[in-house]
Amino acid sequence: MGSRFDRRVLPWLLLTPALLVVFGLVVYPVGRTVWLSFRSAGLPYLASGQSRFVGLDNYRRLLTDAHLREVFVTTAVFGFACVAATMAVGLAVALLLNQPFRGRGLLGVLVLLPWAVPRVAAGVVWRWMFDDRYGLVNWALSHLGHDFTGFSWFNARLPAFIAVGVVVVWQSFPFIALSLLAGLQSIPPEVREAARMDGAGPLQMLRHVTLPMLRPLLLTLIVVSTIWDFKIFDQVYVMTGGGPYRSTELAAVTVWREAFARLHLGSAAALAVALFAVLLVMTIGYGRLAREEMAIR
Amino acid sequence: MRRRPVAIAALYAAALVVALFAVAPFAWMLLTSIKPDGEILRRTPSLWTGHPQFGRYADVMHAGFAVALRNSLVVATGTTVAGVAVAALAGYALARFDLPLRRSLLLMVMAVQMFPLVVLIIPLFVVMKALGLLDSWLGLILAYLSFTTPLAVWLLRSFFDTIPKDLEEAAMSDGATRFGAMVRVIFPLAGPGLAATAIFSFIAAWNEFLFALTFVKQENLRTLPVALSAFVGQQQADWGLIMAASVLFTVPVVLFFLAVHRRLTTGMVAGSVTG
Repeated sequence: MGSRFDRRVLPWLLLTPALLVVFGLVVYPVGRTVWLSFRSAGLPYLASGQSRFVGLDNYRRLLTDAHLREVFVTTAVFGFACVAATMAVGLAVALLLNQPFRGRGLLGVLVLLPWAVPRVAAGVVWRWMFDDRYGLVNWALSHLGHDFTGFSWFNARLPAFIAVGVVVVWQSFPFIALSLLAGLQSIPPEVREAARMDGAGPLQMLRHVTLPMLRPLLLTLIVVSTIWDFKIFDQVYVMTGGGPYRSTELAAVTVWREAFARLHLGSAAALAVALFAVLLVMTIGYGRLAREEMAIR
Repeated sequence: MRRRPVAIAALYAAALVVALFAVAPFAWMLLTSIKPDGEILRRTPSLWTGHPQFGRYADVMHAGFAVALRNSLVVATGTTVAGVAVAALAGYALARFDLPLRRSLLLMVMAVQMFPLVVLIIPLFVVMKALGLLDSWLGLILAYLSFTTPLAVWLLRSFFDTIPKDLEEAAMSDGATRFGAMVRVIFPLAGPGLAATAIFSFIAAWNEFLFALTFVKQENLRTLPVALSAFVGQQQADWGLIMAASVLFTVPVVLFFLAVHRRLTTGMVAGSVTG
């Protein structure tokens, strides 16, 4: 069917623009960043492309520089904390939406809102919610008992991270909740019925029936949210600017600062590559795990 | 199975808490944007206002937001049109021809979803500087294509897969060329898929912050997220004005999002996970 041109040439012509985009805007820059991570490059590199080969020095700096080393730990701890919180909230909301009650459809739509809000806007709005004197959060918390009047969330590291974490969870739980809801609804009713006949209570049902059946989906969602939460930039930039004293800088923010504020392009590239490598290893590890699960079945 | 009243009460209480958590910031943003100045800075926040005033939306526009809005519209539209055009051609080729790239496509899409944009940013900055594309719409559009194109190709390929091959084969036996059949028969049928992909690209470009912050320094070329973050950074933050700006930035994408979220969910899951 079709001429020789249609079979042999046309497909590649159709693909050419996309291949140009992918190679020019993705493959080349990634390769160039890897290359740069082995070089010393500063302002002269931006001005005229001068740089010098320094071997593994930039990577060594990641391990020896106190701040850079700390950034890795911070990013990992904050990232996993956000993943855990997001999964907990997401699962709870999914279980809730799986119950029959009036207004369930409405709640399903309302829950979508945080996901739709642009990250920068979410950061800005929550910055206002967490305002020390006029914020809704301090007012609400004070009403719940402990006095939070005038408490300033962004003057110390832990409260600042809690505020940023709340925004991250707020924006990512809808996706987790709706995916898990779809998973819950695909569990055959007979399975739950059988467990109930055997006298399983709601908690036992969750632990021994529901969660095991959702295992592959849960794993997938954990990996996806880990990838998201290790890349956070916008919310931190808008809410804390990395402060106080660079204590809330996460990896992506540090890469940006090293590159465009301090002009340490080589070590910025090394940090970016290291972050990329961590995410890659996690994704591959997950792929292995998923394949083994498949093989067991 | 009958449920006890306590259980039912707990269920509704939980639903209320979830609804509040999801909606409160959104409602607070809208409310702050229309409160009179005197009601915003109150120790005990007023949860309603008897005197809504909408003048702040005009004020925000005059304070430089109109320019940012224009820049965002141009960049997001440009990214969408270019990205969907490129992706439609590639998606069609991958759906209809047995190409060696078929399998590596998924890998590509996954990789792009996975890696942090900071990996791309230094080389892109250097290249754009050399080509004079910093501080330009075109530069941002090109940068955005890096992350919208792979997923758009993936989405469109799966849409084209659902359209029967007989259709263009019939057109071709009536004398149409393959290209003609693609443009005149298949693309119109893929309308909903093209629209969903376009909206996805638009939202991604509209929301993007990191590249916009880095590649554009001129104030009159800033996009909305950068203009908004600059508002917040000012010494005396005017929260009424900032919330009005946030509303203008947020509402268009929320509407778009609600229109396509179902496809977006499957797209994101397929794009970032399958395999």
